[in-house]
Amino acid sequence: MPSTDEELVARSMGGDLDSFNQLVLRWERPIYALAYRVIGREEDARDVAQETFLRAFRALKGFKGQAKFSSWLYRITLNLCRDWMRRERRTPVSQAPEGVDIIEMAGEGTPSESIEDLVSRHELGRAVGKAMALLPEEQRTAIILKEYHGLTFQEIADLLDCPLSTVKTRLYQGLSVLRKHLHESGVESTFGQ
Amino acid sequence: MCESKDLLIGFLYGELDAADRRTFQAHLTSCADCREELAGLRATRGQIASWSPPEPDFGFRIVRGAAAPPPAPRFRISPAWGLAAAAVLIMGVAAGIANLDVSYGGLVVRTGWNRGGDVASVQEAGAQALAPVDWSAQTAALDRRLRELETSARAHAPVQTASADDLSDADVLRLVREMLGQSETRQQREFALRLTQIAQDFDTKRKLDLAAIDQGMARLQNASGAEVRQYREMMQRVALAAYQQK
Repeated sequence: MPSTDEELVARSMGGDLDSFNQLVLRWERPIYALAYRVIGREEDARDVAQETFLRAFRALKGFKGQAKFSSWLYRITLNLCRDWMRRERRTPVSQAPEGVDIIEMAGEGTPSESIEDLVSRHELGRAVGKAMALLPEEQRTAIILKEYHGLTFQEIADLLDCPLSTVKTRLYQGLSVLRKHLHESGVESTFGQ
Repeated sequence: MCESKDLLIGFLYGELDAADRRTFQAHLTSCADCREELAGLRATRGQIASWSPPEPDFGFRIVRGAAAPPPAPRFRISPAWGLAAAAVLIMGVAAGIANLDVSYGGLVVRTGWNRGGDVASVQEAGAQALAPVDWSAQTAALDRRLRELETSARAHAPVQTASADDLSDADVLRLVREMLGQSETRQQREFALRLTQIAQDFDTKRKLDLAAIDQGMARLQNASGAEVRQYREMMQRVALAAYQQK
């Protein structure tokens, strides 16, 4: 039975480097995905993810366990993303692959998905990325944390240091704007319907 | 109710408690706008799910800082120290051969195989062995022995010459052979003695010089940079003096 985050954190605090690397292995993809969706650049997102774990490792002694370890990592990541955006003085970009490799896409798809479905899914993904980049940072962050990381309203509120009602408002406004942009972009999807 | 979107967003994400959920479900049955908006937002959520980040090239791991380097040996020969040590060895050999007295800042360095050492740690090698070999005295002693031999031969000669006429040629030849044989035996004995002494001297001096080199190396280990420069200058003077004497 795999160890919980709390157990791995406790062992890491005792100097067990392997335990911390298990946490890295467990959380590197979600953290990278969060950074990528917030700042929109693959290389920078990877740097942010690495820096997140480095900072977490250095600050491990200060982690008191009031929040979940994952929430703590998310907070570090979001702070680094904000630093990145402030430093770059830019809004996030939607970086989509230039060439779409059908063979590679087919490997990622489900067995029942046709090539046409795969292509339309990738086109939709690019359109979503572009629409997300147009959102204000607070709305985008709230949607990312909710949609891709499954945080509760309360967890998002704690993470963003804002009231619960503000989280709901940001989610509603952000989703409404996305709906409008995606409708205008002409992409249609039956996903989730 | 339609003005506040709290229930709508809570219902959309399934975060309403049971009472609020029943209330909002009842509202939906009578509000077409909310039904349409809910359906539109659900579709948008479905579209959002298709946005995936590119597959990253991970491999990032925290590694422990470079392991503490192994403790440095107490004496490690750096290139500079190696050169200094080599210089000391070469100069030691050269000085041993050179037979020199070099005065340097009040310090007298005596070199040469035939000069007694003053190294305290090798005094047990024997004071007699350490005494310098006086070659002139040895030569004089050998000369004295030869004269004695000559005198002894003369002392025997009158007896033999007195009766020389009585001796046959074969007797004379035998006597001469005996005398030559005695002389040769003495010479061989003297030569073996001298060889033994030389070998003992050489061995003693070798031990002395090895001890001196050991002590020199020990001093170099503890010497500061200024002292090393001083040693080097001293050795240069030794080398120069050896060259000039040559």
